[in-house]
Amino acid sequence: MEILTTENLTKKFGGLTAVANVDIHLGKNEIQSIIGPNGAGKSTLFKLVNGELKPTRGRIWFNGEDITGLEQHLISRKGIATSYQITNIFPKLTTFENVRLAVQSRETPYNLWSRARSHETLNGKAEEILKKIGLWDKRDHLAANLSYGNQRHLEIGVALGTDPILLLMDEPTSGLSPIETRETVRLIREIAGGLSVILVEHKMKVVMDLSDNITVLHEGEVIARGNPQEIRANETVRRVYLGGVRE
Amino acid sequence: MKNLFQWISDHSVLMIILVLALIPFILPYEALATQMIIWGLLTLGYNILYGYTGLLSFGHAAYFGLGAYATGIVLIRTNCSLLAGIGAGVLVSCIGATVIGFFCLRRRGIYFALLTMAFAQMLYFTASIWESLTGGEPGLRNIPRPPLEIPGLVSINIYKPLRFYFFVWACVVVSLLILNRILESPFGKVLQGIRENEKRAKALGYNTNRIKWLSFILSGAFSGLAGALHTLYIHFVGLEQLYWETSGKILLMTLLGGPGTFFGPFIGAGVFLYLEDMISGFTRYWMIVLGPIFILCVLFFPQGIWGKVRDLADKNRGIPLERG
Repeated sequence: MEILTTENLTKKFGGLTAVANVDIHLGKNEIQSIIGPNGAGKSTLFKLVNGELKPTRGRIWFNGEDITGLEQHLISRKGIATSYQITNIFPKLTTFENVRLAVQSRETPYNLWSRARSHETLNGKAEEILKKIGLWDKRDHLAANLSYGNQRHLEIGVALGTDPILLLMDEPTSGLSPIETRETVRLIREIAGGLSVILVEHKMKVVMDLSDNITVLHEGEVIARGNPQEIRANETVRRVYLGGVRE
Repeated sequence: MKNLFQWISDHSVLMIILVLALIPFILPYEALATQMIIWGLLTLGYNILYGYTGLLSFGHAAYFGLGAYATGIVLIRTNCSLLAGIGAGVLVSCIGATVIGFFCLRRRGIYFALLTMAFAQMLYFTASIWESLTGGEPGLRNIPRPPLEIPGLVSINIYKPLRFYFFVWACVVVSLLILNRILESPFGKVLQGIRENEKRAKALGYNTNRIKWLSFILSGAFSGLAGALHTLYIHFVGLEQLYWETSGKILLMTLLGGPGTFFGPFIGAGVFLYLEDMISGFTRYWMIVLGPIFILCVLFFPQGIWGKVRDLADKNRGIPLERG
């Protein structure tokens, strides 16, 4: 069964069509990359899927359910999480609280009377995620005081905290050094074992290493799709995108 | 010193309760102490919304005033008990905050602040016109202070200043315990998450609009309790309680003490009222003295008095404290 399917997904901003009739098919536990030059509509596509934007036309099915036009917080509760390109964490909360806030979002938010600090299951899950992303020893630091690389990992940790079925990752390695990039690729591979991932990424090595399938967007439209070998061999893709990028 | 600070931080509620139990004996007269803890309670309520949720309201006079008027009117017109009178004040403030919050939260930032102020001013003018209910310009006078009665159990006269102080103190203690519980709960953490990054909180699946609304109502309820107690304290409700200057005063006290900190509101209210009391002994224009103090505060410790103390202690400890 497909985890995510979009059909004729279209978003217009005034006269500009940012995403035009895009069909995405994502299988269970698949890592699919969306590539394309700047302005191809990758970020808009993410925002349509996670509910930040409402589509002008088209439908989105997630896990067998039509989620088109659902409110953002409800889509999140269905199991779609986003890790953002521009670090989007809670700066004046500790690293631990950042992740715990994500973990506890799966429970009722209207729990006014129990102590957050003594919720064993919440704390346990947060601990597990912090260890996975390598930030357990920095758990008491304010998120704002973490290094950029650590913040990028915390960003992923916060997204993982909601226990997603589908994770949308917007340039998880942007601004990272080669070593940090390798570390992040290892992390993505590790977490992708149990969930589906859509990855937007500019570093071709990362894309080719990680992806099961690749969809190429150009000016809002899908111009190619296939596995990494097929995409690499595709003439159109070479012309509009890969030609200008070193691998 | 560092350990002492950590201990105080860990037992912040207990510390406030103890300090507040002592201040009527330290200050020159009990009335000042009473005033301080009522305003402390008011800013505490305000701090839920501003300090913890990050919503700058410029109309908290509304809930203070609604609580004050409701309690005053009920006590004058009916023969109800003290606690019922206070309950009426809290209830009316809650209703007011529910309705006003619903509309104000449609907008963000400066528009939100202006809407809260506009609603408060509307209430102010309504109160000044509706003389049969509110007494209009001269205010609502001679409001009785019935004894504290728990039917079948006790009836305590709280007429003497010190007794009244401890009655207010008990109300504040209960409020503090409730509030501490709420702020330390998962819900309280979500409030701080919204303050820090509302977009991400929404992306995590929190219905931030509804949570902000609930925060607004809670904040209004505690402010209303402060209004009710204020009415009992001076046996009078004046129009100026609903005026926008009152909203400004609440904000000033919170900024002075330290928004988003648990101690801050009481310190802010205490320092503000103590200075007011001291300086207005010399001059009528005490606001002229307050102005520079406030400017210095904002320039040199925008995190407020308690926020500054906490930051210094953090620096000494070398690692960040767990914020609560």
